[in-house]
Amino acid sequence: MIDIQPTMDDSQVMDFVSRGSVVLEGVVSDDFNRQCETLPAGRINEFACTPDFRNEVLLHPEVAGVARSLLGRNFFMPITAHHHLYEESHTGQTWHSDGLSEYGYGVNHLQCYYYPQDVTLEDGPTMVLPGSHHRLVDREAIAHYGDILGQVSLTVLAGTVVLTHYGIWHKAGPKLNAKRRGMIKFSYFRNAPPKRDWLIESEEIPPYVNRERHLYANEVESYRDMARRQRTWNWLCGVDTTPDVSHGAKLFIDARPLNEIVNE
Amino acid sequence: MEHAVRQWLAESRQKLQTGDLTEADLQGLEALLTEPRQLVLYLYSKSTNMRSAIASWALYDPTVPHEPTLPSQDVPYSSVIEAVNDGWRIVQFPRAELYQFSDVDNTYLGYEFILEKSTSDL
Repeated sequence: MIDIQPTMDDSQVMDFVSRGSVVLEGVVSDDFNRQCETLPAGRINEFACTPDFRNEVLLHPEVAGVARSLLGRNFFMPITAHHHLYEESHTGQTWHSDGLSEYGYGVNHLQCYYYPQDVTLEDGPTMVLPGSHHRLVDREAIAHYGDILGQVSLTVLAGTVVLTHYGIWHKAGPKLNAKRRGMIKFSYFRNAPPKRDWLIESEEIPPYVNRERHLYANEVESYRDMARRQRTWNWLCGVDTTPDVSHGAKLFIDARPLNEIVNE
Repeated sequence: MEHAVRQWLAESRQKLQTGDLTEADLQGLEALLTEPRQLVLYLYSKSTNMRSAIASWALYDPTVPHEPTLPSQDVPYSSVIEAVNDGWRIVQFPRAELYQFSDVDNTYLGYEFILEKSTSDL
């Protein structure tokens, strides 16, 4: 079995627990980015299973290294993908989380966004709300929200891959031009119980070091966020006995264990 | 509205006699015949106190085309009370009993104040 090495250390995992995303800026090669210039919109499952896509994106050491760090060994590899393509100006999507959010303390599903071209603010970048994966909402009941303090527009270089907690609130931002803006979405899933087997310097599990308050959070919410982060950290380290409820989880698993794919 | 139109007619008859009736007068009549429209502003305050800081906001204006506009981090008002001072009227206050929570779980952005203005206020 191919040995994917974890790339994240304790501090980086703690950051993910707080923010709900990791941005790998410009990691995919320009050559492969150019191969995506003519991809059609919609489902691209066949393309997702090509050796080129697997090797250049899914098994890229930095991309797969994050999946390995957060999901453990022999994680489920994507065998489907969706190309979200915008070529005309538009007002943008409304805030939402996908599916049923998969709300819970655990980290079982990483939804990833790969951008084969540069994305500027006028190109309608994906927007995410850091920390929102820790909020339980009805996705249709946040559609009237507008600007939120702390929201992040993912203005990125070509070849960037963003790995997110599935429940994070996101949307396609407003697009002011007619430039092609594509984003390929795919997911990795957990296939092993959580344990602290990312990059560590000592076997002793450090306590969660709390991160800064999200700009939109009030006083009591920041305390709840702190408690949620501690629980998720303990869960990831395999020491929390709290059951992970992950409401609605695994609606859309289209994936195969890493060892099955690389042994083909 | 009827009273305003009758007043406009009386004034316009005089202007017609003196030759002073202009396009601007006709536009004035058009404005009188246009029903006012409601503008809606959502403000998410960090507490139920109207002087608390704002975490999120959204303006719905039916009189302007729905066109793409860049996202912003510039809060339109620093607090609900500041918006009220600018002429916005509150049509819904956040009710504390709707903001219950259990354990450590956060849910929606709180606390939701809904405000309105009329186009006739502008």
